[in-house]
Amino acid sequence: MTFASHHSHGQALIPGHIDTAADHFRLWWSQMMVFTGICIILLPIAWLFLTAFKLPRDVYSLQTAFNFTPTFENLQTIFEHPWNLGNKILNSFAVAGGTVLIAIPMATMAAYAFSRFEFRFKKTIFLLVIASQFIPAAVIVLPYFLMFKQLDMLDTRSALVLINMSIVLPYAVWMMKGFIDAVPLEIEESAMVDGAHRIRVIWEIVVPAALPGIITAAVFSFTLTWNEFLFALIIGKQDALTLPIGLIGFRTERGDLWELMAAGGILITAPMFLISLLVQKQFIQSLTAGSVR
Amino acid sequence: MTQISLRGLHKFFGSTHVVRDLNLDIEDKEFLVLLGPSGCGKTTTMRMVAGLEKATYGEICFDGRRINEVPTQQRDVAMVFQNYGLYPHMTVAENIAYPLKLRGFNASQREAGVLKAAERVDLGPYLHRLPRELSGGQRQRVALARSIVRKPKVFLMDEPLSNLDAKLRVAMRAEIKHLAYELQVTTIYVTHDQVEAMTLANRVAIMKDGVIMQLASPEEIYSDPVNLYVAGFIGSPAMNLIDVVAHSDFVETANGLRIPVTAPRQGPTTMGLRAEDMQLTSETDAAFSAEVYAFELLGDSTMITFKFGAQSVAVKGEKNIRLKFGDQVGVRFDSSNLYWFDNNSGERIRETLSR
Repeated sequence: MTFASHHSHGQALIPGHIDTAADHFRLWWSQMMVFTGICIILLPIAWLFLTAFKLPRDVYSLQTAFNFTPTFENLQTIFEHPWNLGNKILNSFAVAGGTVLIAIPMATMAAYAFSRFEFRFKKTIFLLVIASQFIPAAVIVLPYFLMFKQLDMLDTRSALVLINMSIVLPYAVWMMKGFIDAVPLEIEESAMVDGAHRIRVIWEIVVPAALPGIITAAVFSFTLTWNEFLFALIIGKQDALTLPIGLIGFRTERGDLWELMAAGGILITAPMFLISLLVQKQFIQSLTAGSVR
Repeated sequence: MTQISLRGLHKFFGSTHVVRDLNLDIEDKEFLVLLGPSGCGKTTTMRMVAGLEKATYGEICFDGRRINEVPTQQRDVAMVFQNYGLYPHMTVAENIAYPLKLRGFNASQREAGVLKAAERVDLGPYLHRLPRELSGGQRQRVALARSIVRKPKVFLMDEPLSNLDAKLRVAMRAEIKHLAYELQVTTIYVTHDQVEAMTLANRVAIMKDGVIMQLASPEEIYSDPVNLYVAGFIGSPAMNLIDVVAHSDFVETANGLRIPVTAPRQGPTTMGLRAEDMQLTSETDAAFSAEVYAFELLGDSTMITFKFGAQSVAVKGEKNIRLKFGDQVGVRFDSSNLYWFDNNSGERIRETLSR
């Protein structure tokens, strides 16, 4: 069933079913709403994109909002001293990638256990995992700082991976439990009767069947880590700075360097765009899982 | 070559006692059907044989060797699930090949096995499709092919036909019967459909509330039911069970009709008589005559229903008979076809009085 057919005026939204003036109006109205929504979302991004190719003098002027001579200088400058966004990109990829690579297999196992096994205090433990997310980051940032200081891990990527895992894991476990719950138990039993041991059942049957969900959780975790700011600011000093921290460097005593910040903004958003293009199909599959059987 | 013994088997789910002291010996190459309504413990019993469920008490043996502690993977059984249990992300060929892959066969051996199994169930053209692209009947055949791609010790089938439409069910029933004959593997088959049980089984175990009521060949279960429950479960339509009060040379039904037969004991009892053991006749030599409550055409026969108070009695008639609602007709039967049951315990009353 499509969304449109649940809708009381749904018929009008399907091309070829436009009969009356009222239907015409409804169609026009819904198109306007979608258009407005798209504008609200895309306008700042377009602005950011344009600013990245402007000279400083064009940034503040409305006359040159769309009418300016583009320059690629900003995209070069940000990689030079003192900004050095190059190694910050590397750090961001290492931290976000490392977090996802460790967190997703762990979350898959944990979610499988929560979904399939019976053990004492299961509900309480699951609740605790979720509840850990209700603690504001600002409350635990100082303990984390002191802890990593004692461990001599300040300004390291591994410290950031560890912290980000603690943020990402509960979400990932919670999301994936839902997807694994939806995998029928019968196919696991079927594989066991066929002769597969538990680990093979998980790896060859459950993971492929829940793959759209796992990819969704991975993308979600990557995004969360990629954009993480507070901990990266506290832990990082020089070697382990990530892109979001790199961006605040553009607020200088000479003022905010908007054109450079916008160029850095492109760097931050580009991987997200690429990833969302790549996984769009799985993402939609996981969102509609269960509705099409 | 596997003989299965279940000894003193019990299963509790929490405080629910699903299987109660089940004792059952299944011969090598036998096709045994566990028959009963939902919740009677038949599927649980099969799942204990597969190792998907642990027995609370009792012993499960293959060829005399206790296997309670042997994990499912090592029991070497093949199972067809009610919803087929196909792997949704694998093609038909990969589904069928999976048991071989797990047993370390190489690609060419797997392919040969898949082709042979697929051919047996007519799946050839569909090998590269995904399960979701198949119809219910085709999925069913994939599940069958996957279970016959290797030669297991035991076949387990959990209501494999219940998701198919009526016509396909009859066709697949014949397929399964032929496969069982060809493969000669000990099979346990769970169903709630008595026609499936009668047509497929070497022996049928009729279960109720976790207990086997009767274990016998289909013929025996049909012709010699041990109690009211079995009598009322088997046959289509099921045996007519009429509550009567027996006197010395007649019985009286709830609505006061007197039928001249001699019961083995006097007082309230239940009289059983199959629809196909009665014939319509003229009112003069009838055992009883009554008003037609309903008349149905079945094609190869007709079904005439009478009402004795709240109880209905079905009689199978010749295919060319035509009756109207309310017609008065006579019915006769041979008193040797009568069954008598104790109407309290439901047990069969066997000793017959000689006239």
